Amino acid sequence: MENTALPFTTDPATGPLAASLGDRIGPWMAAFEAAGVALAVLDGAKPELPLLGCTAAFTARGGPGALERLRQAGPAAAREAQGRAFRAADTPPLFLAPGPSEGLLLCTLPEGEGQEDRRLRAQLALSGSAAWEWEIATGRIAGDTQFAAWHGLPLAGAALDPSGFFACIHPQDRMRIRLGVGGLLRGAELFSKEYRLLGPDGTVRWVQARTRCWPDAQGQPARLIGTLTDITEQKRTEERLRIAQSAGGIGTFEHVPGFGTAAVSGTFCALLGLRPVANLPVPLVNSLVAEGDPSPFDRAPPAAPGPAETRAFRIRRADDGTPRWLMRRGEYLRDADTSELRFSGVLYDVTATQEAEARLRTLNEALESRVAERTRELDRVWRVSRDLFFVGDAEGRCVSANPAWQAALGLPAAGLPGTPLGALVQEEDRDMLEAALAQLRHGGADVAVELRMRHADGTSRAFSWACIPDEAGFVAAGRDVTRRNELEERLRQSQKMEAVGQLTGGLAHDFNNLLAGIGGSLELMQLRLAGGQVAALPRHVELAQGAVQRAAALTHRLLAFARRQTLDAQPTAVNVLVEGMLELVQRSIGPHIRIETRFEPALWLTLCDQNQLENALLNLCLNARDAMAGGGLLRITTANTALGVAAAQALDLPPADYVRLTVADTGSGMDAATLAKVFEPFFTTKPLGGGTGLGLSMVYGFARQSGGQVRIDSVPGEGTAVHLYLPRHGEAAPQAPPAAAAGLPPARPGRRGTLLLVDDEPSLRAVLREALDYAGYTVLEAEDGAGGLALLRSAGPVDLLLADVGLPGGMNGRQLADAARQEQPGLKVLLITGYADAATLGADRAEAQMEILAKPFRLAEFLRRVERLLP
Amino acid sequence: MQILLSELERDALTEIVNIGVSRAAASLRRLIGAEVLLSVPSAEVISRQAAAAMIADREQEPLVAVRQDFAGPFSGRALLILPAANGASLVRAVLGDSVDDAEALALQDETLTETGNLVLNNCLGTMANMLRESLTLSLPDLDHGAPAALFASGMRPEEEVAGVVLFLYINFSIRNHDIRGYIAMLMDMPSLAMLQQLIASFISSVMDDTAGSP
Amino acid sequence: MAPTLLIVDDSKLARIVAAKAVAALQPEWRRVEAGSAAEALARLAEGGVDVALVDYNMPERNGLALAAEMRALYPDMPVALLTANVQDEIIAQARALKLAFVPKPATEEGLRGFLAAAALRWRQGAA
Repeated sequence: MENTALPFTTDPATGPLAASLGDRIGPWMAAFEAAGVALAVLDGAKPELPLLGCTAAFTARGGPGALERLRQAGPAAAREAQGRAFRAADTPPLFLAPGPSEGLLLCTLPEGEGQEDRRLRAQLALSGSAAWEWEIATGRIAGDTQFAAWHGLPLAGAALDPSGFFACIHPQDRMRIRLGVGGLLRGAELFSKEYRLLGPDGTVRWVQARTRCWPDAQGQPARLIGTLTDITEQKRTEERLRIAQSAGGIGTFEHVPGFGTAAVSGTFCALLGLRPVANLPVPLVNSLVAEGDPSPFDRAPPAAPGPAETRAFRIRRADDGTPRWLMRRGEYLRDADTSELRFSGVLYDVTATQEAEARLRTLNEALESRVAERTRELDRVWRVSRDLFFVGDAEGRCVSANPAWQAALGLPAAGLPGTPLGALVQEEDRDMLEAALAQLRHGGADVAVELRMRHADGTSRAFSWACIPDEAGFVAAGRDVTRRNELEERLRQSQKMEAVGQLTGGLAHDFNNLLAGIGGSLELMQLRLAGGQVAALPRHVELAQGAVQRAAALTHRLLAFARRQTLDAQPTAVNVLVEGMLELVQRSIGPHIRIETRFEPALWLTLCDQNQLENALLNLCLNARDAMAGGGLLRITTANTALGVAAAQALDLPPADYVRLTVADTGSGMDAATLAKVFEPFFTTKPLGGGTGLGLSMVYGFARQSGGQVRIDSVPGEGTAVHLYLPRHGEAAPQAPPAAAAGLPPARPGRRGTLLLVDDEPSLRAVLREALDYAGYTVLEAEDGAGGLALLRSAGPVDLLLADVGLPGGMNGRQLADAARQEQPGLKVLLITGYADAATLGADRAEAQMEILAKPFRLAEFLRRVERLLP
Repeated sequence: MQILLSELERDALTEIVNIGVSRAAASLRRLIGAEVLLSVPSAEVISRQAAAAMIADREQEPLVAVRQDFAGPFSGRALLILPAANGASLVRAVLGDSVDDAEALALQDETLTETGNLVLNNCLGTMANMLRESLTLSLPDLDHGAPAALFASGMRPEEEVAGVVLFLYINFSIRNHDIRGYIAMLMDMPSLAMLQQLIASFISSVMDDTAGSP
Repeated sequence: MAPTLLIVDDSKLARIVAAKAVAALQPEWRRVEAGSAAEALARLAEGGVDVALVDYNMPERNGLALAAEMRALYPDMPVALLTANVQDEIIAQARALKLAFVPKPATEEGLRGFLAAAALRWRQGAA
């Protein structure tokens, strides 16, 4: 007979007891049934142990058979077996619970050993919560499998009595829990407490018990129902936290936004200078926070749990008012009790860090303001300076330029970026610029170079540049030295003029003599002619010619000295040149000094400007004269010298062949100090009015320009020797320099070419025409540019145009030459120049292939030049 | 404290106060409809002045208190203390929008008194039940002033001078209304002695209750 | 027709709170108030009061005293003692006077049972 209301079988014989039992243990049995536990409930009061109910599993596994064996064994055996297993042959062992309890005796069939048990235990270990009930009237406490496991019960539903329940609680917590339960029993509605539970295996776990009291119909406490949650880990963490807090000066706190108080730790209070309490009013904490700083508490919670903003703020400690910096960190968690979002976080002192940061900020600001100040200063300098500033990139292009470019060169600074510096520099100086930039690029720390800059109006101004390399290029500052240069030049000029004045004094004297000589000769010639005495004429002519030569030479010197002249380098035989100067030199230095010469017979040619060489020689001789006030010996020597590496280096020259010209005297000599400064312009040892001091610097300049060098040996009291080195000119020189040949080349009859001769000076023109005629040339004459051009057009092509540069009538010789070339391209041109003709000649005459011949010249020279052009 | 109450007795007292205050909090929650957060009860035996100072330390604003004296086997004074500014918030919290500002202001004192009545009655009543004794509670009075004055108000001079008191207090605060305050109880020494006895009986009967076998 | 309920409490606030709860549960009922025991008796004498809520904590005469007097006059009127003072003794005294006990603050939950019973009684009375 089955009672379908009950999920397990009952023995109807037990009747009312069964019914009431059903009430009592029904839910438990249902659970056991579902779990497949093999369980039987017996009436323990009766010796024959009648079955009150059992689960299907019990029946299935042969439980009834085992039970029968137990009954057969008798009550004594049954009593004996309680709390143990009853074993009988051919039936499974029967485990009897200790008891009976309220008349019930429970038996189970253990499922099997080891494996199943272990599995179950493992399952139990994983869950973290237990549920339990305490029936007050009966004092019966039982719970689910977890509860059973924690309290050492064999299975769910197995019961403890209160003493057993409390026995599982750690002795130190036991009292507290009993009091709590007591409170519940007296009308408290709930209790929520943490305590330590002693496990059956001796483990200690922290649990939180939440229990409510449910009243019966009369309102008396009837049942306590609760949960236990394992919080061991949490407790450990709390402990570690507590230790960390006090060790690390970290205070913890919790606050639900909107609540007026926050739960705090002792360290939290200590950080604020407050006595340790468990909670603090929010306004009290906020009153310690510095004005304007944020509070550690939020007014409103965030939308969801998660990390909260880390926040720093200043406080004044409550105890001594000292200011401190504190930092709060934490997160929002969902509160289990209220399901609100609760801030849980820490507070710690960061004063040291903040102060350091503040100091750093102040320092940075001070630094920034100093930098800003400096920048303003530099900015001012940039804007206001009259010097040019140029910031360039690695390729020399402008990155930025200051306003001075506008004032100095008429170039608006705004338009300059992107322009290469080279474009702003005069063409001729671009190479120097490139060299300077290259030097910078290759690690030059600073480079100075003087460059001529192009003004917007086309003029040129000289600037002295100082350049320094920069990360991305270079920075250059340029000072206008045009004026300075001009002044220097003018000074030099005036000095030169002074020198010239001096020189002319002496020369004028000589000139007079020469003119007298010429005049005298002519007079004599006249006389002889008048008397028909032709035989003596040649001699007079020669004398006169000699004087002319000398006079010409003198003029030449003078003019060369006074004018600025670009080098007109010609292959030169130095011996010949020196020889030609000897007479002048002798005249210049006076009779009390003897001249000796020693010439290298096979002297190499050198390529130099002969005028300047003559200048240089003269200068040196004049210096020698000045050094030998009381007379002495002047020796002029020439030599070939090949300079090896060492010797060349010593002279700062490339190793090569050189011609050496030496002027030595037996004069007062110079000491080392004087020697050191001797090439400086304006340096002079001569008393005031005694010389300009320009001579040696010009000699030096000439030597260097010609690719040579000057060296001076001097012994005070004994004399000085000045050595002038000039590079050997490659072309082989004829042994007998033709320049010194006296007289005209022999006449060569036969037509050799047609010349157009244009000169406004009739006598000169006549003389030249005579000479040309003599030499066999056909000559067409004109006295000005227009005439010459007309002749050219009408007479047809000529072989050579010979024109004086200084022609009247609006067309000078140069212009005539250009015009003539229009008529006859490729026309050869020989221009005759006076000293003032440099500009008229034009800077490009070399390119234009126009030869020049400077007045005065000897006819032989003249003819030679023509011959060279028209061989 | 340790001299007068053993650790167990202290635990028991804390438990009893806790239960009383929880009940009070629950009824406050029903009145206002907002969560009430309570601290763990703090119990110290100190002078009345020191007790006042403990509150004064933490509060710079003026306070208002509902005071109810109790008598019976032990006597003393219970107070619900709030910063005066919270008064208006409390009224709003209780009445909601059902009254206008003028009426709310008029009802402010009433509201404070009634709230105090609610909290203190519940608290003390529950405690009395726990101890299985009955206490006579006076009608609640509303006081303004500094804690020292609040604690001494209405007392006879000789009572005031009395040495130490048992000072219990619990912090509470109310969600979203920025309302917070203290529930404080002061009991003189004779009362404390009596209380100790009652606590002892409480403990032993609890032991019996929880000892177990039916 | 609806019953009339008398609320007796010296605190206006408490009266408002109680009235609110009653209104929520029984909106058609009429509500009258008294601020003391004396006022209450006077109002009762005027007649027409069917149900009463009485506060315990009142000056001069507390709620239990008033209730005792009311019981004498109106033995069958449903009366509830409304108080925060939950002491067992008071509850017992209330029971002895056949008063219902409603803890303060008066909420719908707390009043529900009492008002339902009172409504039933009133209908029976009316019928």
